[in-house]
Amino acid sequence: MIDIVGALMDNIISVLLITLGGVLISWSVHFVPVGGAPAAMAQATGIGTGTVQLAAGAGLTGLITAATMMGVTDSILLVLASGAIGAMIMISVTMLVGQWSYVYGVGCVPSSAKVKYDPITKDRQDLYVSQGTEGHGLPTVSYVSGIIGGGLGGIGGAMVYYYLMIIENSLPATELVGIASIFAVGIFFVNAVIPSYNIGGTIEGFHDPKFKKFPKAVISSLAATFFCAIMGVIAIGGL
Amino acid sequence: MEPLTGMGVLALMGAAATIAGASEDLESDVGSQSNPNSQVQLAPQMMYPHRIYNKAISGEPPSNALMCAIGGTVATVLLGMNASVILALTIGSLVAAMIHGTFSVSSHLGRIASQNRFKQPLYLDIVKSHTPVIIAYSFITTICILVISYLMVVVLGHPFPLPLLAFIWGITIGAVGSSTGDVHYGAEREFQNVEFGSGLNASNSGNIVRKGESGVRNGYDNSWFCAKFGGPVTGIAFGMVVFLSGWITTVFDASKSAAMGWESVLAGVIIVIILAIWNRKIEVAARNAYGTYKEDQDAEVAA
Repeated sequence: MIDIVGALMDNIISVLLITLGGVLISWSVHFVPVGGAPAAMAQATGIGTGTVQLAAGAGLTGLITAATMMGVTDSILLVLASGAIGAMIMISVTMLVGQWSYVYGVGCVPSSAKVKYDPITKDRQDLYVSQGTEGHGLPTVSYVSGIIGGGLGGIGGAMVYYYLMIIENSLPATELVGIASIFAVGIFFVNAVIPSYNIGGTIEGFHDPKFKKFPKAVISSLAATFFCAIMGVIAIGGL
Repeated sequence: MEPLTGMGVLALMGAAATIAGASEDLESDVGSQSNPNSQVQLAPQMMYPHRIYNKAISGEPPSNALMCAIGGTVATVLLGMNASVILALTIGSLVAAMIHGTFSVSSHLGRIASQNRFKQPLYLDIVKSHTPVIIAYSFITTICILVISYLMVVVLGHPFPLPLLAFIWGITIGAVGSSTGDVHYGAEREFQNVEFGSGLNASNSGNIVRKGESGVRNGYDNSWFCAKFGGPVTGIAFGMVVFLSGWITTVFDASKSAAMGWESVLAGVIIVIILAIWNRKIEVAARNAYGTYKEDQDAEVAA
């Protein structure tokens, strides 16, 4: 019989910080400039793929680098930083090569339809939006927002993984890595999906009016991840 | 591990990732998947029947993740039975590719059948000719991902099990592919009937080009066109992701000291800053080269 209360109380820090990691992931997704199917036809600013897919692609790449780091060090700061860097590299490369496609492959200028001037470069945007579209490509503000989103998602994913790994249990090391990593991937997906209800297919980054809705997703993620964390702690702690 | 050995392994992983990226994108072009497929799906409803293979098993990341996870699982089972590495990875990829082919056919038949009311014919020659190509591309993608995952586990000592690494790289390659190469297919190839660089008005939705360079356009023609730009750039993107994310931890080995770990983080930050500056340079160059789409009415009013 598993001592559920005992396992939870022994690992209460893990429960709380896994929840924090999930909240960070949920917040991070709002920064990632995704345009869904319209962006794939250069009809909306951002990357031409789905919210969950890109956020998961970046965050899970961060998880790989974080796990590499965790294999050789116990420093949580280093693990979190590695997770952030892995995710930031993935999303930066993807956005840059996406930009090549928009500029060289499609021949349109990166521009935002949500703001008249880019908040970072102060470049005029509205004149560069082609007729009948909601912008295209990745203006600097969206690119910077994507990097921030990737970084936060990477930190969140790495935090979830780290605190799943330090739950007290009697598993062999290889099996612990297996179960903790699968829980981390699962928790990542839960928190990547929740914000997509806010985003509704397209968001340009932190300058997009939809970004202001993030508290709703963050609170939902707080509740969802808290239950996921309890499940994770009981499952791993009980083994 | 010797740094030189690590770099050699990374180079091999980068090369495999580049091939995987290109084949992943071309697989999604010849079979039409992911976001651009929304236009192929919409075309018959707008009275534009076509001869393009229409498979959208799911978004590219889940479909590639499934494929790679199946391949990784089969390979792990075979490795556990003391099969040789090459045989295990090959059989794993083959099983994954065949399952992907099954999904492709059922997806295509289901979608075309649902468009019967819009007079969209089901061309059996398209099914027979395109499905083997889809299977072949997915085999190349899966085996390259398995090679990357195997090298990470066995040589670089990554703690994750092989099927999970293959799953994660499957998600990542799908995310990269649908973000980069698909734009070339969706925004350029499908709409070559509008002037290059003019932007694609939303009112053109569904009006995809249906005439090929010779005869009626099909998935082969799209794959041929996208192999000139969309496929290679996807390969470069995924190759860069795999290589750069591994390079920082291989060159600056955190197992030697914590300071080296922080140096790897610093190296990553520098790479990201360089990429951001590169992006800005492209943006400025595009603004100067292509110019505006409309007149500045504010300036006219002020004048």
